[in-house]
Amino acid sequence: MTGEPGGAQEPTAPLLELRNVGKSYGSVIALEGISATVRAGEVTCVLGDNGAGKSTLIKILAGVHGADRGSVLLDGEPVSFGAPRDALDAGIATVYQDLAMIPLMAIWRNFFLGAEPTKGWGPFRRFDAARAKETTRHELAAMGIDIRDPDQPVGTLSGGERQSVAIARAVHFGARVLILDEPTSALGVKQAGVVLRYVAQARDRGVGVVLITHNPHHAYPVGNRFLVLNRGRSLGEFAKADISRDELTRLMAGGAELDALAHELERPAH
Amino acid sequence: MAAPGPLRRLLVKPELGALVGAVVVFAFFAVQSATFRSARGVANWLDPASTLGIMAVAVALLMIGGHFDLSAGVMTGTTALTVGVVATQFRQNLWVAIGVALLVALAIGFLNGWLVTRTGLPSFIITLGTFLMLQGLNLGLTKLFTDTVTVSGIDDAPGYAVAEWIFASRVEILGAELRVAVLWWLLFTALATWVLLRTRFGNWVFATGGDEVAARNVGVPARRTTIALFMTTAAAAWFVGTTLAVRLTSVQANTGIGQELIYIVAAVIGGCLLTGGFGSAVGASLGALIFGMTQLGIPYLRWDADWFYFFLGAMLLLAVVANRLVRRYAEAARR
Amino acid sequence: MAAPKRLLALAVAAPLLLAACTTDGGSSSEGGGSGGAAADAGDLTFSVVTHGSAGDAFWDVVQNGAENAGEDLGIEVDYQSDGDPQRQAQLIDAAVNQDVDGIVVSLANPDALEESVRAAVEAGIPVITINSGGDRSAEFGAIGHVGQDEAIAGRGAGEQLAESGATNVLCVIHEAGNIGLEQRCSGASEGLGAEVATLQVDINDLPGAQSAIASQLQGNASVDAVLTLNSAVAAVAVEAVADAGSEAQVAAFDLNEDVISGIQAGDIAFAVDQQQYEQGYLPVVMLKLYAENLNTVGGGQPVLTGPGIVDADNVDEIADLASAGTR
Repeated sequence: MTGEPGGAQEPTAPLLELRNVGKSYGSVIALEGISATVRAGEVTCVLGDNGAGKSTLIKILAGVHGADRGSVLLDGEPVSFGAPRDALDAGIATVYQDLAMIPLMAIWRNFFLGAEPTKGWGPFRRFDAARAKETTRHELAAMGIDIRDPDQPVGTLSGGERQSVAIARAVHFGARVLILDEPTSALGVKQAGVVLRYVAQARDRGVGVVLITHNPHHAYPVGNRFLVLNRGRSLGEFAKADISRDELTRLMAGGAELDALAHELERPAH
Repeated sequence: MAAPGPLRRLLVKPELGALVGAVVVFAFFAVQSATFRSARGVANWLDPASTLGIMAVAVALLMIGGHFDLSAGVMTGTTALTVGVVATQFRQNLWVAIGVALLVALAIGFLNGWLVTRTGLPSFIITLGTFLMLQGLNLGLTKLFTDTVTVSGIDDAPGYAVAEWIFASRVEILGAELRVAVLWWLLFTALATWVLLRTRFGNWVFATGGDEVAARNVGVPARRTTIALFMTTAAAAWFVGTTLAVRLTSVQANTGIGQELIYIVAAVIGGCLLTGGFGSAVGASLGALIFGMTQLGIPYLRWDADWFYFFLGAMLLLAVVANRLVRRYAEAARR
Repeated sequence: MAAPKRLLALAVAAPLLLAACTTDGGSSSEGGGSGGAAADAGDLTFSVVTHGSAGDAFWDVVQNGAENAGEDLGIEVDYQSDGDPQRQAQLIDAAVNQDVDGIVVSLANPDALEESVRAAVEAGIPVITINSGGDRSAEFGAIGHVGQDEAIAGRGAGEQLAESGATNVLCVIHEAGNIGLEQRCSGASEGLGAEVATLQVDINDLPGAQSAIASQLQGNASVDAVLTLNSAVAAVAVEAVADAGSEAQVAAFDLNEDVISGIQAGDIAFAVDQQQYEQGYLPVVMLKLYAENLNTVGGGQPVLTGPGIVDADNVDEIADLASAGTR
């Protein structure tokens, strides 16, 4: 039940591809038979309610665990990551819900965490703070983010601003694939809009984005392809042209169940 | 919008509360005692500040990294006793003894760090266990090797003269005769500050203390960082223990017990959060300075020594509250 | 945010104001009388620096002795103490910096204090040692030592035991390698006129000590006296004697409430009291005499404060004095 990438509509080869990926935790099957594609400059949304298997999928893509069944292909070659560092080195950057931002640390320190630029060598090797601050300011501006002072602790930024910094960081470090784990879930309507705009920016810069969310209203405007998960299984991978937002919503909620619920709620029992 | 002005930037620094505290404490004692503010007096109270300060700086680094080391105090005793026993019972050159003590310290530090990162148990508990074990070992092994509870005669060991020059001599600065430990303390504070603020490792320390999971997710080697920090407190304990052994030439088996909490207090006065991720080495040194001034200020004022702990507790509360007020003001102003 | 700023200003200003307003006696005029030359008692300041820990009942009595002497003689006496030898040395340095007219020091760890004591002597400040380190006292340049000679005290205990008819004495040593304790036991042998058996226990494990003493008594029924060298050990020795069903008498070193009530109850035959009140009081007198008249006391020998024997005859009066903090 997976959509096949059609040659005429999508001329570019997929950047990241999943073929029949499955994962079990002991006897519990978390994922089974998942196939999807991500292309450079496109957003593939992974939708599903809580418990659908989205976080397991992220962990496989981010290199936290490997898939038990099926394969993950990067640029057409099968890959298997032993640690998050491997996925990062391969160009797959993950922005988790908690953003991997340290609230007490300054924005520029967070921006370069784990990848600090250095100056000098041997025991005099130091963290090039000046370059870090300048680059941070520059990169954020390039994404259209206006942060007053890169020395501010990240904790003083709003949720939307933090997401944006995390996205800018991933883009700067040459992510070819950007995986965003529920970036709008904790945000209000306006903030969510701001974040989606940055997602679009990243897309326009040629990054392949995987957007995981349980909100089809956020996913639909920005997505090019939609993968719907339900209890670990795929309900289909659709191109935007092939599905409407309402259909997407109904599919996610389990269409028939929703209809029955609506029916039940409308008519009072006599 | 413009970046916050220099005053705001200053106010948000963790050391500010400690600096204010140090100035207030100094003024308090100096106004009332001429000897306290004389050159001899200053040299006098810089002495406890220095040995405390070296440990406080190391403990602060560890606290910023998110952990506690309750074995730091007793480890100064372990290293001092090791130096003493190896030099006097095994009749080695003092420098061999000092080298052995360093290896022992680093091994214990590694053990602490390894246990904490492997088991995931709170460092408070793990190092409490180490503390108790070392307390027993200090006493038991001293009795085993010397049949007494003290190791003495360290000045008879060959190599003592140079060791004394490096660890226990006095230096004349601006008319005051300071113990060389004060210079070492200043050097270590500067070194720790540079590492924290200007190296990759320092960034990792802040990150590991701030949110270890997040740090690891972006590729920070949190485990290695933590182990390195525990080995740093151990190395500091080695330095202070060696200083004690060389200076006093005779070490008691119960040395250092009880000091571990004071290191933590100095670090907290200096702006370190108990939950980790924030703090400063300079602040911890200022905290140690406050301690030193208070410890000897009270005799200079001829107060009853019993009031020492009360005064210290009051200083701690004042410093922490002042810290909180200043930072809240500075943070609020930014928004 | 005016409120926190105001609070902060208050926090900073208050101690300064306090400092400016309070004038502590003798604080602004440092270094009243110079040491050595004949001086008025009204100008004298002495520093007492011991190794006692805060709240230690034994050292409280010493402190009372010193402070009472100060009151009686019109001398300012400042008592400081710290169990850590490095900190004790720093306190001695502080006293020297204040140009006091005399220093009283207890030398529990003579090596550690050597530098500071010699510096005091070199600065012309007379030093008297108390309680411990009597054998190094003169070497450091102190003008006298006030304390209890452990061998002599042990002899006193032995003689007292002989008087009460004991023949087979068990001497309980509660701290390994403490030379003073060993001297007490060997002194007891001399005073008794017979060999005294020793038993090693650990002061940090009193229940263990109790069983060790009890089993010794059970194993050897001819032991008729248990000599303990510490008041806490005395208490468990009384229990041990009861446990073993032995008739042995218990004797103690150093007084505390339990020992006093033990003597009153008849459980403890006597206690050897080192009269530490005198270790606080006498040095003040001696330093005053030195300051005013260049007198020395003792003729190069230590001034002995013990053994003072407390037994059923004088325990009631002693008990009253103990509750006043002077015994």
